[in-house]
Amino acid sequence: MITISLFTGFLLVLAGLYGALTNRNILRMIVSFTIADAGVNLVLIAVGAMPGRKAPILDAAVPVAEAARRIIDPLPQALVLTAIVIGLGVTALMLAYAYRLHASRGSLDISKFTELKW
Amino acid sequence: MVSPLHILVVGLGAAFFVGLLNHDARRTAFAITLAALAAMTLIAGSWAWAFLFGGATPFTILTAGAPPPFAINLGVAAPEAVLVALVCAVGLLSALTMRDALERFGHRAMAVFLVAVMALVGIILTRDVFNLFVFFELIAIATGGLVLISDDERAVAAGFKYLVASQVVSIAMLIGIIFVYHATASLNLDDMNGGSIGPVDSGPALAFFLLFIALVIELKPFPINGWALDVYQSAHPGFSALFSAGSSTAALWAVDKVIGIGGAPWLPMAAAIGLVTFVGSNLVALSQTDDRRLLGYSSVAQIGLVLTVIGLRDLIGERHLAVGGGILVTHAVAKAGLFWLSGLVASRDLAGWAVLRHRPILIFAFATFVAMLAGLPPFPGFYAKWELVHALAADGRLAFVAAILLGALFEAVYLFRWFGRAIKAPLPEENAAASRITGAVVVATALAGWAIGWTWGAASPYGNVMAATPLLVALAFPLLEWLPARVKNTLAILVLCLGFWVGYPHFDPLQMIFGAIILIGGAVIFIASFTFAQGRRIGFYPSAMLMYAGLTMLIVAPDTFSFFAAWEVLTVGSYFLILRGKESEPHALSYVVFSLGGAFAILAGFALAAQTTAPFALAALKQVAADHAPWVFLLLAVGFMTKTASLGLHIWLPGAHAEAETDVSPMVSGVLLKAGLFGLFMLVMHMGRQSLHGVELTYVMLWIGAGSALIGNVMAAFQEDAKRLLAYSSIGQMGYAVFGIALMNNLGWLMALMFVINHYIYKSSLFLSIGGVAKRTGTREMYRMGGLIKLMPLSFVAVLVSIIAMSGVPPLSGFGGRWIFYNAILDTDARLPMVVIFLSGPIAFLYLFRLIHTIFLGQLKDEHRRVSEAPVWLLVPQMMYVVFLLGFALFPGLALRRVDAFIGGFMPERGLDWEGTTITSAFGHWNPIAIMVVVGVIFVTLFLWLLFLEHRAQMVKQFNIAFAAERPHRPETTHFAWNFFAPYRRAVGVLAEPVFERFWGATTGALHDVAGFVRRLYTGDGQVYALQVVAFVVIVQLIAMGMRP
Amino acid sequence: MVKRATALLLMVALGLLFATIAFDHRPDTELNRTALYYAENTAKDIGAQNIVTAIVVTYRGLDTLGEVTVLFLTAAIVGLILAAGRPGERGSFPPSGELLHTGSRLLAPLILLAGVYVFVNGHLTPGGGFQGGAILASAALLLLLTDPLHRFGNRLIRLVESLSGVAYVVAGLFGLVLAGGFLDNRFLPLGEFGALFSAGGIPVIYTLIGLKVGAEFASMLSSLSRTEKH
Repeated sequence: MITISLFTGFLLVLAGLYGALTNRNILRMIVSFTIADAGVNLVLIAVGAMPGRKAPILDAAVPVAEAARRIIDPLPQALVLTAIVIGLGVTALMLAYAYRLHASRGSLDISKFTELKW
Repeated sequence: MVSPLHILVVGLGAAFFVGLLNHDARRTAFAITLAALAAMTLIAGSWAWAFLFGGATPFTILTAGAPPPFAINLGVAAPEAVLVALVCAVGLLSALTMRDALERFGHRAMAVFLVAVMALVGIILTRDVFNLFVFFELIAIATGGLVLISDDERAVAAGFKYLVASQVVSIAMLIGIIFVYHATASLNLDDMNGGSIGPVDSGPALAFFLLFIALVIELKPFPINGWALDVYQSAHPGFSALFSAGSSTAALWAVDKVIGIGGAPWLPMAAAIGLVTFVGSNLVALSQTDDRRLLGYSSVAQIGLVLTVIGLRDLIGERHLAVGGGILVTHAVAKAGLFWLSGLVASRDLAGWAVLRHRPILIFAFATFVAMLAGLPPFPGFYAKWELVHALAADGRLAFVAAILLGALFEAVYLFRWFGRAIKAPLPEENAAASRITGAVVVATALAGWAIGWTWGAASPYGNVMAATPLLVALAFPLLEWLPARVKNTLAILVLCLGFWVGYPHFDPLQMIFGAIILIGGAVIFIASFTFAQGRRIGFYPSAMLMYAGLTMLIVAPDTFSFFAAWEVLTVGSYFLILRGKESEPHALSYVVFSLGGAFAILAGFALAAQTTAPFALAALKQVAADHAPWVFLLLAVGFMTKTASLGLHIWLPGAHAEAETDVSPMVSGVLLKAGLFGLFMLVMHMGRQSLHGVELTYVMLWIGAGSALIGNVMAAFQEDAKRLLAYSSIGQMGYAVFGIALMNNLGWLMALMFVINHYIYKSSLFLSIGGVAKRTGTREMYRMGGLIKLMPLSFVAVLVSIIAMSGVPPLSGFGGRWIFYNAILDTDARLPMVVIFLSGPIAFLYLFRLIHTIFLGQLKDEHRRVSEAPVWLLVPQMMYVVFLLGFALFPGLALRRVDAFIGGFMPERGLDWEGTTITSAFGHWNPIAIMVVVGVIFVTLFLWLLFLEHRAQMVKQFNIAFAAERPHRPETTHFAWNFFAPYRRAVGVLAEPVFERFWGATTGALHDVAGFVRRLYTGDGQVYALQVVAFVVIVQLIAMGMRP
Repeated sequence: MVKRATALLLMVALGLLFATIAFDHRPDTELNRTALYYAENTAKDIGAQNIVTAIVVTYRGLDTLGEVTVLFLTAAIVGLILAAGRPGERGSFPPSGELLHTGSRLLAPLILLAGVYVFVNGHLTPGGGFQGGAILASAALLLLLTDPLHRFGNRLIRLVESLSGVAYVVAGLFGLVLAGGFLDNRFLPLGEFGALFSAGGIPVIYTLIGLKVGAEFASMLSSLSRTEKH
């Protein structure tokens, strides 16, 4: 299970990156990046997972005294929350940029925005 | 003291609070922003002070009440405190320069700005690797916002490209972090450090590689940094300043913190990427024309150099923070200053910076920043460069040394070319938009640069360059710029005389001769400057005094460091001086590039010699180990010979000397060239003969000297421009002196010293007389003159006496020089170069003859009928030279006796016998007074005879076209004095071919072509940039795999 | 075409790198040092049932503050970008249907309530400020859909956004002054383990986060809605 999520995560990252590197349309690039972000988040979760253990919540199912033996590593879960929020922030920002670029040129083709070069 | 944590708290709290305000309350919002930034700067500054001067000890700030690695902690030590203070100060000043833009975009923009500065501080302080990631993302997003605060519509595209690239970076960083966490069970940097990540091809190590390479990409390494360059180019300059000085600084510190996780195997990768970035980025910058993009390239390059230092930290040891910090601080201050300055310039063209000339203090700031970036003293970058090159040379990594110095030379080229254009381009109308606040910020930054230079020097183990009295005196002159030029001129003369009077008792005979020429000689030339002392003559006195300060420091330098510092000071001073000429921009550039190239050779030579010894006394050059002594000799000799304009390295001289102002020409010819000779003297005295692969280097020098003498003289003979003629003649004269030094015998050295004195006198005198003539006639072309003897008799006398002295005929001192010279070559067995140098003797007559013949004799031109004698202040020093030439001719022993004895200490063989007025060598004797009498009698006799024959003279028209079949396009071709030595040109014209000009021209052309080609990588397409970033990751990884042991 | 091939090639190379990492990965069988600390000490030190919440709000509170700042930044910049390029002002939109209108009136308060529930209980159950805040924002989205021109209290959003942000920083400072360090939750009593009012300042902080996140999202949505063409 862990291995599957790990590989799925990496595959998503590669697919997302490939999409971002080959689609000229800015919106498609942004979507590709969100796919890659999702992949990264999946990898993060997979690294924290441990076979046969429970979520790190100390309720009736996991008494405090047994926590060390019963729960999975909580840290990656905390990290992934941060990563998700940051990814969302960047995506929103890029979307706003896309709007602005489209408003300025009437096009969403990234290869049209090359006045600055060399 | 307030905890540094509150820097974050204040920044964030203010950002949130500013968000609350209404769009109309933007003034309030700006006031709060400034207050918050000021408070942050104050807290950071107080800690920087406490660590640097108050003996504070490093400490950790815990958050959440739990110990690391379980909770995030911040670490504060001296480097963090300094960097945080730097970032906050840049943030504060940038906000000031961005005031209009920030108020226009409103409170949201200010909140973003505050968060950006806060996040930079966070990157520097945090000891947690994931927290580092969070702050980096904050920076990325804030950058995406702040780029938009620009008048440039292209900034939107630039911001998007930047975001795309940072997406790739953050993916790599996150994957890296999570697996490194898995391997080390910690996110705390102090916990993870230790290099136990495993072999470089294991999974954890690859994860570390992803983290590391992501941080490296944050440094915008060459050549995958198009997205960053676009930001530099199009963003508001205030933000670009923060982006360059702040973001890169923080990212560098992050790399330094993180690289320890991987440990030693990863250091070479950092060093290599850094070096490629430094050299490559500087190379591509050569063909930039947009000022801000140029600054972007330069930023990237400087950061690359610091990355190299980080990569070399096992080699440099504890001092790597001082070395990297020196480069970084210099870069940050100068680059921020330049970006702010660009906000005062409306045009994006390099020449557009000419507008700054409306406010000379901004030019002062500009010069300060350029000097800082070029690694010149007394700024921290200079100390860092010195130490870096020494550490590398001591370890035998000479390829690194070469690459770094090459990159630094590229950088100097484009910086000085830019500065020269700004100084020389036509003055545009003043910018209406130029803001006073920004101006004040720029000036404050420049002053801060000087203060940092002082502080850095005071803490440096090599001693404080700025504390040298001559430099302090020179630096006082910019403060006196408000005085009238006459007062400053008088002061300059007094200061030089005083300097000689103070130094006199401590000089040995060699220093005595050079000291007298520099200080007394310099003072005499300053008399001529009274001619031009109208108004305030802004910029002249600081430059000249800087040069004299450097020269003075040079001759008293006890060790290699102070010698090199002095060399750089005199170079930069003389560059500013040469640049003052009307048409001198390209020549000043070629001068400074050759000089800095030479200086780098000297630096490399000293570094190779010193190995790990510091400070390294000049006298210790004697003890350099035999295996690299010849290389040391070679590097130093090449360095010094750039200054003596020896064959091959001479092409800068004619233009630089000829185009300089009338009173500057003698300074840079009569005085400045002697610095190279002093260096060569120092070199041969301490190192003696050296051979490399069986070739004796002094013998090569002998050839170079002879060749310079020949080519210099031939070229001089074919000049039409009188000042160019004099300039080429200097190449020849220096050739004689180099030849004399290379003879490696007592008389050779004595003759070289005699040339030192003589060349100063007659070349200064000639430049002043010709300058006076040019001033009166309005031309420097000799064939346009003629018959001036009656109108300018005193100038004529000065020229006559000077050329007699120079040609080496009796009775004047030149003959003494020749006499010693012939004796000297009889002492050696270097026959072939001797023939060459004999040959060049008569050629000197050709061009000297023209000075008298074409300018003063013959018929007066119609347009010159009303010409009057040269200005009196020009004549005074000339007459002093005439008197001195006569005196020196009669009593050469006054100066040379002691020197002869001094040289005798280095040489086994006997020198000369000085008895009464007669001087005896192994081959004969010479009585100057008797010769003077004999020649005097002959001269008077001939003169009377000519007077008697005068009525037979016949007048001819000068532009005689009687024999021409058609009207010539260029009337001067028919003038008898044009192309005067055409027959000789036909005979030996091959010698006058501009071979070396072509060589250097082709070299620079090729470099520009390469730069133009490489920069096609920057297609401007954001997707291509992202592709390049991914490719960079893959390629670096492949190389690392290929290189693993 | 060249670009696709290059990209594919790069993905293959990158895939090999990832594969090495993945094949070298061995899931832990025991909690590592850091995780063990959290497992053993969260209950007694932080008093939160949900260990992830304890980490997010307290142990790695600085990250979370940064995270909130990311949203704040994004909202501000989105506003900035869209404000600068805003086309001509409001026109008339077709009215939303009766169904949507009534439905949203009914649902919005419930959604809001659900959001508040999620972030108030963040220290006990899965969920927390971010999740709750996102739910709050979905209520805002619904309101936007029913009446595009209804600028639901821009001023209110800004007020909530800023005040909750400042209050969050102040709460962090309480931890610094009254407890062990910046963002320490023990400036309030830990209370009874597992109760609603427990885990010190965590519910307070998570409430602030929830409000702030909700306000940021609402602000972004409102900015984006203004770009709608008609």
